[in-house]
Amino acid sequence: MDLGLAGKKAILVGAARGIGYSVAEVLAREGCDIALTARSEDSVKDAVASLSKYGTKVVGKPVNAKQPEAYKEWIDWAIEELDGVDILVPFTSAGGGMGSEKYWYNAFETDVMAVVRAVEGVIEKMTEQQRGSIVLLGTTSTGEAMGGPQPYNAMKASLITWGKQLALWHGKNGIRVNVVSPGPIEFEGGNWDMIKGTMEKFYASQLRQQPSGRLGRPEEVAKAIAFLASDAASWCNGSHLVVDGGFTNRTHF
Amino acid sequence: MNDHVMGWDAGAMDVRRVVHPYRVDPESVGNGTPTEKAPDPQLGTEMIPAARYYSPDYMKLEWERVWTKVWLLGGRSDDMPEPGDYICTDIGKESVLIVRQADGSIRAFPNVCLHRGNRLRPEGRGNAEKFQCMYHHWTYGLDGKLDHIPDLCTFLQGGPKDMALTALPCTEWNSFVWFSLDQDVEPFEEFIDPLKRHLEPYHPERMAWMRDITVEWDCNWKTSVDAFNETYHVQGIHPQLKWYLDDVNVQIDCYGKHSRYLIPFAAISPRVAMPSQIPPAIHEIMVHAGMDPAEYEGRVSDIRRDVQLFKREHGASQGKDYSELNDEQLTDDYHYTIFPNVSVNVHADDVMLFRQRPHASDPNKMLYDIWMFGLVPEGEEWPERVRHQHFRHGDKTIGQVLDQDAFNLPTVQTGMKSDYFPGLWIGDQELRIRHFHKVMDDYIYGPGEKGPDDL
Repeated sequence: MDLGLAGKKAILVGAARGIGYSVAEVLAREGCDIALTARSEDSVKDAVASLSKYGTKVVGKPVNAKQPEAYKEWIDWAIEELDGVDILVPFTSAGGGMGSEKYWYNAFETDVMAVVRAVEGVIEKMTEQQRGSIVLLGTTSTGEAMGGPQPYNAMKASLITWGKQLALWHGKNGIRVNVVSPGPIEFEGGNWDMIKGTMEKFYASQLRQQPSGRLGRPEEVAKAIAFLASDAASWCNGSHLVVDGGFTNRTHF
Repeated sequence: MNDHVMGWDAGAMDVRRVVHPYRVDPESVGNGTPTEKAPDPQLGTEMIPAARYYSPDYMKLEWERVWTKVWLLGGRSDDMPEPGDYICTDIGKESVLIVRQADGSIRAFPNVCLHRGNRLRPEGRGNAEKFQCMYHHWTYGLDGKLDHIPDLCTFLQGGPKDMALTALPCTEWNSFVWFSLDQDVEPFEEFIDPLKRHLEPYHPERMAWMRDITVEWDCNWKTSVDAFNETYHVQGIHPQLKWYLDDVNVQIDCYGKHSRYLIPFAAISPRVAMPSQIPPAIHEIMVHAGMDPAEYEGRVSDIRRDVQLFKREHGASQGKDYSELNDEQLTDDYHYTIFPNVSVNVHADDVMLFRQRPHASDPNKMLYDIWMFGLVPEGEEWPERVRHQHFRHGDKTIGQVLDQDAFNLPTVQTGMKSDYFPGLWIGDQELRIRHFHKVMDDYIYGPGEKGPDDL
């Protein structure tokens, strides 16, 4: 099956590591040009350098997505560098945390507003092109409670709702919006890598909940995202795909 | 580009990253704890014989030439503030009474009645006007003088020589009391050198008891000392600490009888990838310092330095006087081994001390004392003295990290007795173990006198 990704232009926010980087790698391998960002200059440089081996155009610059003006400038720069934008996948997240009210603001700024600003930054161009595909990142922790009452889960849930609204609103302009919710994904330097080292029992309990007896790998989510981002998913719009290896119990009627 | 730590290539170790932790300039510490790296002693690469850990003969040598010759840690000064307050502490087959005198000084005596050998007091703390043996009521003053022998007229030989318990050397230093079983022991100042300048800036007298626990462990006391003398075992037995401390960039310093290592805390081990989320244990360090981790905008790799700067700025307003400590000391673990049996982790806000005592007769057993003290901020009420607990290994938890050590040591002790285990194969990350055994050699055989056939 041809995904039709060759020559497409993708903007990836928060893509220097983990699932984000893995999506960049899958897309680059499929022939996409890529503009990516993350907060740390070093990690952006490293990511751009290692993605360049796939022979497409890969550009990157660090930006703090919590600073709206600089962030908007970055998105404009990315659209200009790529000469358009076909795909947007924003991965920004403040991660978990509870006990301080500040976590709500962090999650709102990073998980929600950094995504909202990315979408609003590309929507005009996509409308003008009458073509575009946006994939938002949810989490299985929206559909099933996990990790205690945290802003992370609640804020991520709002993206699933908002993603559907976007899909209906912009569908007439050839823009598709879908959401992917990964379950626990393990990679070196990721949260589950640290949990495995610091909370062995909890980690083991999560493995037992996975029918396959292991956690997911970034590329296993990345391929699902790449599919939804591609023309091969032309009839997927407003969908929410759970990619968790069977981790969650709920059925989706 | 690889960095070199103690002569080996840090990049060639089992690491993911080469890390250069922030270090204070040794020139900048003034009269505070020195940070300069001491020259490494040349101690060779020979095997350390396993029999040292289980041989009754070696145990006897240790008793005759080490335990009865050195200064030993007895307790805390603030456990005996008033005249008549005493600490009774056991070491091997001996027991010692350390007593506060009317003039505020301290004296120490063997805890044994000169009449029939009964112990005068059980181990522990207390207050007494006099020490009266329960058996026949022979009665001693706080100064150890034998004040009364009932029916003295029936002892044709009179009372024992000098009518007094043997006076043992004792002293107080840095809020702890010390004693020796050797009446001719070297002056304490010479024994403890150079650690006074190292440890006094921590002001343990501003810290109060947090834990006072004695656990009976099924291993030789040196098996325990060794475990706390190296960080090489972190990657093996304490995997969770890799998201808490840097077990690779550890500075080792050997000084005469004693030694130390400096471990960066609030850091991520180079053995694992740098996480983007704050690890739970480092989160706790930040909260304890008064920081809100949710507000923290820096990278995880910046936390150690930022905690130091935060504590430097806000310590005084929290009633914590860090003025004599350098920035590293505000986060890091400075870990000292005071020969022969004290392992002490000193931190700006607490002291975690382990006293390792030999069993009276069995080289395969020991007493492991955990003494923890926490800084009491100025203006806060001094907390009530915690109760001493004594139990056997495994009966209760002593915390995740120490449990991991404790559960491992009996199997080390058992394994070392194998005919197929000639001795310890020590690497340079374990230099302090080699140094400790060299000091043992010097005490047991005389400096440089250990022969090829000696244990």
